[in-house]
Amino acid sequence: MNYDKLLNISVELGCRLMSSGAEIYRVEESVRRLLQAYGLDSPEVFAIPNCVIVSIATPEGHPITRMRRIAGHGTDIELLERCNDLCRRLCVQTPPLEEAQGLLDALSGRSYAPWQVLLGYGIAPAFFSPLFGGGVGDTLSALMGGLAVGFCLLYAGRFIGSNSFFRTAICSAVASLVSLLLVRLGLGRSVDTVTISVLMVLVPGVALTNAMREIMAGDIISGLSRAADSILTAAAIAIGTAVGLAIGGLF
Amino acid sequence: MLGIWSDYILPCLCAFLACVGFTLVFNIHGVGKLICGVGGALGWLIYLLGGSSILAAFWASAAIGLFSEIMARLRRCPVTGYLLVALLPLVPGGGIYYAMRYCVAGDTQQFLDTLLHTFGMASALAVGAMMTASLFRAAYPHLHRSRPAR
Repeated sequence: MNYDKLLNISVELGCRLMSSGAEIYRVEESVRRLLQAYGLDSPEVFAIPNCVIVSIATPEGHPITRMRRIAGHGTDIELLERCNDLCRRLCVQTPPLEEAQGLLDALSGRSYAPWQVLLGYGIAPAFFSPLFGGGVGDTLSALMGGLAVGFCLLYAGRFIGSNSFFRTAICSAVASLVSLLLVRLGLGRSVDTVTISVLMVLVPGVALTNAMREIMAGDIISGLSRAADSILTAAAIAIGTAVGLAIGGLF
Repeated sequence: MLGIWSDYILPCLCAFLACVGFTLVFNIHGVGKLICGVGGALGWLIYLLGGSSILAAFWASAAIGLFSEIMARLRRCPVTGYLLVALLPLVPGGGIYYAMRYCVAGDTQQFLDTLLHTFGMASALAVGAMMTASLFRAAYPHLHRSRPAR
């Protein structure tokens, strides 16, 4: 068997899983199971949120290691489910490596069109505002604020840069400015309610939940780094909103 | 009757729709959308029934954790997506915002109060969901074994 090829396939699978937002233990266990299914005794897999390292020893005793760095990524549940299914299938069927490589390359899930994602960014805050005590006007304002923030996240990445702290701060500033503007125009009633509803698309709920899941699963390093990420995001939201309100207060 | 409608049903409906909105952002398709929405509505209902306190958030997230584990087992899918989206309405966005407001206004006492309350909410959410998930994982093999083999 071509162990180089097997290693490449398994690292690629781990990388795909990680960049679709899988937990660390899922990545490590999937890659380990895959390698074991192809007859390796003790494959070693180590993953942290932006890196996967896989090391195997061929039956002749020749060690091979591959490391793959993973750039910042979002959460794509559809791709995660596809990867998970593929991994399960490879482990059960163990097809020839060329076929496995083909299946992995062909892996792609459905994804929503950009306008649908933008719509998602709009309707989530719109329906959050009644939960925080907003009326119809607040709901409409939150819808517009959410669309503005979604637009910044989706299309303005080039101008804002890839630094996630800065991006979150800018988006929160936009959120508070838009809310302030809409309340001044008389559409919304309460700046607080509208701003909070819009901020809900930025709050680090995903990072926080993932952090606790990693810690409970025993991956302390990844858990702590994700926890630090969620605290930083919360700080960015606070700073961005404060700046937005301060700028709005000047006029 | 009107009280029940405006106090419980309408907010839960809103939580449902908000969660469905988030499924578009996280690229969840098909039945998964419905599961996420129902999880969010269930969590919010329990949060309201519990009196919107930190303890209520704990119970709500515990219920969400259990619900998403069961759904993930039924559909043979990773639990991550359902759990993330259903927990989102409970994440203390308001806490972060008000803490910032008090901090900027120089009201240190209120700031610390709000900050600690926000941390309390966040930990209640995390611990609640993780606890039921771990309990379910510990109990699941026994439940499975006692069922007649197919």
